[in-house]
Amino acid sequence: MIRLKSAAISPGAASAERAVRGRLELGVSVRGGRSVASRQFHEGALRVLRPHYLDGSGQVCYVMVNPGGAYLGADVFLIDVEVEAGAELLLTTQSATKVYRTPGAFAEQGMNIKLGEGSRLELMPDQLIAYREASYRQNSRISVHPTSSLVMAEVVTPGWSPDGATFKYEEVRLRNEIWIEDGNGANLLALDNLRILPPVNDVTGMGFMEGFSHLGSLVVVDSRVDQGLADELDRIVREFDAYTGVSLTMTIAGTTGIVLRSLSNSTEELNNLLGACTGVLRERWYGQAPLNLRKY
Amino acid sequence: MQYQLALQQLTDSALPTGAFAHSLGFESYIHRELVGDEVTFGNWLHAFITQQLVYSDGLALRFLFEGVDVGLLDGVLSAQLLAREVREASLKMGGRLLEIGGEVFPSGELEAYRGLVRAGLASGHQPLAFGVIARSLGVPFEAALSAYLFATVTSLTQNAVRAIPLGQNAGQRVLRQAHDAVATAVDDVAQLCWDDFGAVSPGLEISQMRHERQRARMFMS
Repeated sequence: MIRLKSAAISPGAASAERAVRGRLELGVSVRGGRSVASRQFHEGALRVLRPHYLDGSGQVCYVMVNPGGAYLGADVFLIDVEVEAGAELLLTTQSATKVYRTPGAFAEQGMNIKLGEGSRLELMPDQLIAYREASYRQNSRISVHPTSSLVMAEVVTPGWSPDGATFKYEEVRLRNEIWIEDGNGANLLALDNLRILPPVNDVTGMGFMEGFSHLGSLVVVDSRVDQGLADELDRIVREFDAYTGVSLTMTIAGTTGIVLRSLSNSTEELNNLLGACTGVLRERWYGQAPLNLRKY
Repeated sequence: MQYQLALQQLTDSALPTGAFAHSLGFESYIHRELVGDEVTFGNWLHAFITQQLVYSDGLALRFLFEGVDVGLLDGVLSAQLLAREVREASLKMGGRLLEIGGEVFPSGELEAYRGLVRAGLASGHQPLAFGVIARSLGVPFEAALSAYLFATVTSLTQNAVRAIPLGQNAGQRVLRQAHDAVATAVDDVAQLCWDDFGAVSPGLEISQMRHERQRARMFMS
């Protein structure tokens, strides 16, 4: 039986008895017009590189690194990020997240993110690659203030197996909860729950991957989101070699989300497509150039 | 089996919830010429039941019967149905079901859910409206779930018969074929857990999203 508290909506954080292999905590606030880390802690196989400023906007860029190179076995990784009032953070990864064989267990990443008033987060990790016999679960809870701005993109690729076939992993679960939180409490705006279990369901065909191998998602939550912007992104994505849908979430406290989902046969095509969409937002809302993380 | 006639009335395709106006995404597949006959529509229907309905409506019904708060489930459904037209379809048909239920199968539980919707504390989703009424009539969970899934399948098939078009007998063959998918779905719903609630099938979801901008269309979703 499920408890009636809203906490019951979230799956529990990583089970207490499982060993935490990496932990990262990052708090970002504004000092002298620039966003800086006001709190930073890491242990085990997770850390961040020294911060970058990619332009004159004051937005700080942190790159997460997993020195172990991959998620294995019953590894648990916990990430806690707070972007305080007015601060702007771009959070990315150094390389793809790779999940190798996890016999009898699953690797897990739990992420807890809080965006303060008027703050901004761009969450742009590299793609997730799940290899043969890998199981991976990612649970993210993101709390957004009605005045803050969230842009998050994600690409999942099928990985590789010795016989060249795709979708040889056991399971990949990516579950994102986005809450709108202010003085009046917390309301669930979007639950984006992706569950790919190739041994249990045929994921290749009609309805699921539709014959494609790669899946990309983009979520934008911002009070400036409206139908016009969703339609504009929809026109942009049609230029790419991908099968893409764009829609709006419900509206809570004046804030709406755009959800974009795209299927393709190439990581690069999906990255270009997602980059074109986030590029429009960066230019229009902040006067920033499109992201080019390749150079780092 | 005192509930039998009530359940039949509740799941009759003539129940005026407006189900005739929704394809829940299959019209996009017709547009792409991936659905165009009995076999291809049957394939879509199978995917829709086992990959989408199970995780949204099916699990919502189960959790409701297990006693999870209807307001909480209502909020999760609104958050999880990310394709706008499908979310609105659930609310449109749910709203009608709440209204019809209030007239023909009134109960305290139904009044409480309607009260939440009137107060803006819930949105009023179709599977929850159905579940609240079915529960108040004493329908056991499995019977309620099968009946709900098959009623959805029936409406969609009738819509496909008009839209593709399929012959009336072909429509009946599709429905008979769907018995197995519904039985599988009922088993799956019993096995799954809270973390599975709202899991999406990317292809189905993208088709539902793209339907918003499809030019020539018969259906609202």
